[in-house]
Amino acid sequence: MLSYIIKRILVAIPLLLAMSLLTFIFMQMTPGNFFDALKLDPQISPETIARYEKLYHLDKPLLVQYLQWVRNLFKLEFGYSFFYHVPVSSLIAGRLANTFILALASLLFTWLVALPLGIWAAVRRNEWSDRILSLSSFIFLSIPSFFLAMILLYLASQGGLLPLGGIRSANFDELSLFGQWLDLLKHLLIPTVVISLASIAALQRIMRGNMLEVLRQQYILTARAKGLPEERVIYRHALRNAINPLITLFGYELSGLLGGAALTEIICSWPGLGSLMLTAVRAKDIYLVMSSMLMGGILLLIGNLIADILLAWSDPRIRYE
Amino acid sequence: MIAQISGYLKQQFFSHLKFVFFLFLLSFFLLQTHQANSTTKYGGQLVIASTSDPKSFNDIMAKETSTTMVTELIFEGLTKMNAVTFKVEPQLAERWQVSSDGLTWTFFLRRDVVWADGQPFTADDVVFTFNDLIFNPQIPSSARDVFSIDGKTFRVEKVDDYTVQFILPVKFAPFLQGMSQLILPQHKLKQAVAEEKFTFTWGIDTPPQEIIGTGPFKLVEYRPGERLVFERNPRYWKKSSEGEQLPYLDRLIFLIVQNLDTALLKFMDGELDHYSLRGMDYPLLKPLEKKGNFTIYEVGPDFGSNFILFNQNRGINPKTNEPFIPFYKLSWFTNLDFRRAVAHAIDKKKIIDILMNGLGYEQEASMSPSAQFFYNPNVIKYEYDLAKAKVILKQAGFMDRDGDGIMEDANGHPLQFNLYTNSGSTQRVQMAAILRHDLESLGMKVNFHALEFNTLVGKLTSTFDWDAVILGLTGGIEPHFGKNVWHSSGQLHMWHPQQEKPATAWEKRIDDIFTEGVQELDENKRKILYDEFQLIVSQQLPVIYTVLSSTIFAIRNKFENLKPTSYGGAFHDVEEIYLKSEFIKN
Repeated sequence: MLSYIIKRILVAIPLLLAMSLLTFIFMQMTPGNFFDALKLDPQISPETIARYEKLYHLDKPLLVQYLQWVRNLFKLEFGYSFFYHVPVSSLIAGRLANTFILALASLLFTWLVALPLGIWAAVRRNEWSDRILSLSSFIFLSIPSFFLAMILLYLASQGGLLPLGGIRSANFDELSLFGQWLDLLKHLLIPTVVISLASIAALQRIMRGNMLEVLRQQYILTARAKGLPEERVIYRHALRNAINPLITLFGYELSGLLGGAALTEIICSWPGLGSLMLTAVRAKDIYLVMSSMLMGGILLLIGNLIADILLAWSDPRIRYE
Repeated sequence: MIAQISGYLKQQFFSHLKFVFFLFLLSFFLLQTHQANSTTKYGGQLVIASTSDPKSFNDIMAKETSTTMVTELIFEGLTKMNAVTFKVEPQLAERWQVSSDGLTWTFFLRRDVVWADGQPFTADDVVFTFNDLIFNPQIPSSARDVFSIDGKTFRVEKVDDYTVQFILPVKFAPFLQGMSQLILPQHKLKQAVAEEKFTFTWGIDTPPQEIIGTGPFKLVEYRPGERLVFERNPRYWKKSSEGEQLPYLDRLIFLIVQNLDTALLKFMDGELDHYSLRGMDYPLLKPLEKKGNFTIYEVGPDFGSNFILFNQNRGINPKTNEPFIPFYKLSWFTNLDFRRAVAHAIDKKKIIDILMNGLGYEQEASMSPSAQFFYNPNVIKYEYDLAKAKVILKQAGFMDRDGDGIMEDANGHPLQFNLYTNSGSTQRVQMAAILRHDLESLGMKVNFHALEFNTLVGKLTSTFDWDAVILGLTGGIEPHFGKNVWHSSGQLHMWHPQQEKPATAWEKRIDDIFTEGVQELDENKRKILYDEFQLIVSQQLPVIYTVLSSTIFAIRNKFENLKPTSYGGAFHDVEEIYLKSEFIKN
């Protein structure tokens, strides 16, 4: 198992480099560079723009620029942001943590709610509770997340209990440890619910489908015929088999969560990576974009790896050499 | 004592009612004295929102609003533009004098200024800011462009600890205004410059206590994406006109709120003290003024212009040896009648109604009316009149000759062209849609494309392959700072950039005005020159103006000494603003 994991990690390195090269090429294919925006400022001369370009080696050939970035990568330097004139790593670090908190919270929330709901709906197939669940699934799937976020923030402004976006209250540093946790949870609630609702709707449907599929199998019939209690049939025999395909899905979700929350982050003033990335891509702040892509790529690979390991753990038929 | 008074009262008036009235007066009097004792202008905080994080705390390297709104609180210049009167006032320099040839300016610095860490502020800091930072060839800075004339920089010399001399290569009218350039501390930054690290110094990852200025506030906390917190600088030098130590407010808090709708909710909820309105917010907020205890200020037109312009580039593409645009198109665009007809086809009122909810201004002159002194209201105005536009086009030889609904020129070329704008600006895209509708009802065929900003910039500044563009530029109160747009050699002279010598007589005249205007130190003579420039632009229509948006903001009724203006915004001179006494907690 350990050698398998090491092998996977080694394979990941060229994969990540290829990904960064592709990102670099795509960024370069769009016209102009970051400092082009300055060209429309009547008070900035072409000489000044040339100085900025020289500072960031934009006057060198593209290949040299890329190789320089890769070389620094091995020293764990991710380059400088053109926008902020500081190392990319110092920009990303704090925001990555924030995004991770939000991602983790919504992942937990999604799975803890969606799985039981899916089982419930499968067991009570075509009963009124199943119908209500499927109706609400379609509703939440079709509401855009930014709209849902706006509605929840509006409700919060009417209720006065929850904060209107942000991650910490102004007096955060003066709170006790427990108070700080509570404060964070309060701020987490709205963005977590917004991000989770659509995924809950989807995951719940998938879980229901898988469960129904398994419940039709003959070994379930056998189990029931043996006279096993219904709970045992469902939670012991059916569930373990129904959940397998979802574990692979879990791996993909992990990477999607980092980038997929940008709109929610912006509306809820959550200081995450998403909004930083969005402006970086639009402004062509290349190294910031490439470094964030790298993070996303690493998470995707880690997610896949975790999924594979979990799969081996839950399904005795799967073994890695 | 009250018993004695009441006894006395009963003897005097024998009236219960009057006794009650007196007690009421008495209590009122007592309350008054109590209030007078606790009345203080000091304390409290101001909370506002910013849509984006500051890009840096390094004022030399980064110059856009999210950065300058922070650095202008921490640092100060030798002079300061009064945002109400537009007169240059002393700041770190207490007075100055200019030699009779207008080239040597001597500034006498205040002696009571210290940096927030207690170090004295001296002439060395001024000389350092100019010679070692702004004029340093290793450091890219747009300030350098402001302080060089035709590539020649100013000479800055220390006379003594509190006197600095600036020697200019030629006379430069906006010099005093330019001296509002923020001065940075030599003792903090000397080493970074010596090690050639200044370009990456004082980025947003710097601990706040490192950022030392002379201004009224100092940065105490910055959490990226969340908030900036400023506290009063107890060493601040400035006193109010009554001799009170400034600033009055204890703290300023800038919350980073990217989404304007979220900011609106926060304002309505009372978390923010200020909100900049979009046209569409007005009908929502106006009825809530009383209930929400705020006031909406409409302080006049913005400075950012929006216009349509046509490519009049007569040049030849050196790569292909072809003209940048086909000759027949060039002949339309250089035809003044064509541009006049377009000017009459712009329905400014409709644009204001649809895009700005009726809150906007029709723009006629190159300077915004908010520029006051240099704004020329007597320029040629083009009212919306499609019939008149048609007549003008017909007289110029444009008419529908083959009955397909599209006009042709005298040589039979259909009047068809591309119109570009940048896709990032929803307002301009919508404006283009309205404009296109009117131009098509005139009988032109307009192909509209919204382009990515960088693509558009590339077309305007290097490939020159475009027909018509809708664009906007930021403006200000000083006409000379638009020289790069109006002088025929400028690279932002977009309809025909970087000309070796002016292609037309009117462009020549504008060149002369800008050369003369910057050397003229008499304000009134400058005014005559720049009025003529605005008149020529309105006659010749190299750019055809559309509308200016209105500057509107809502401020909670908590503050005294506010003087909101379009130029300075809601809280300029923030050190003089204080809270109404009922909002100060003791």
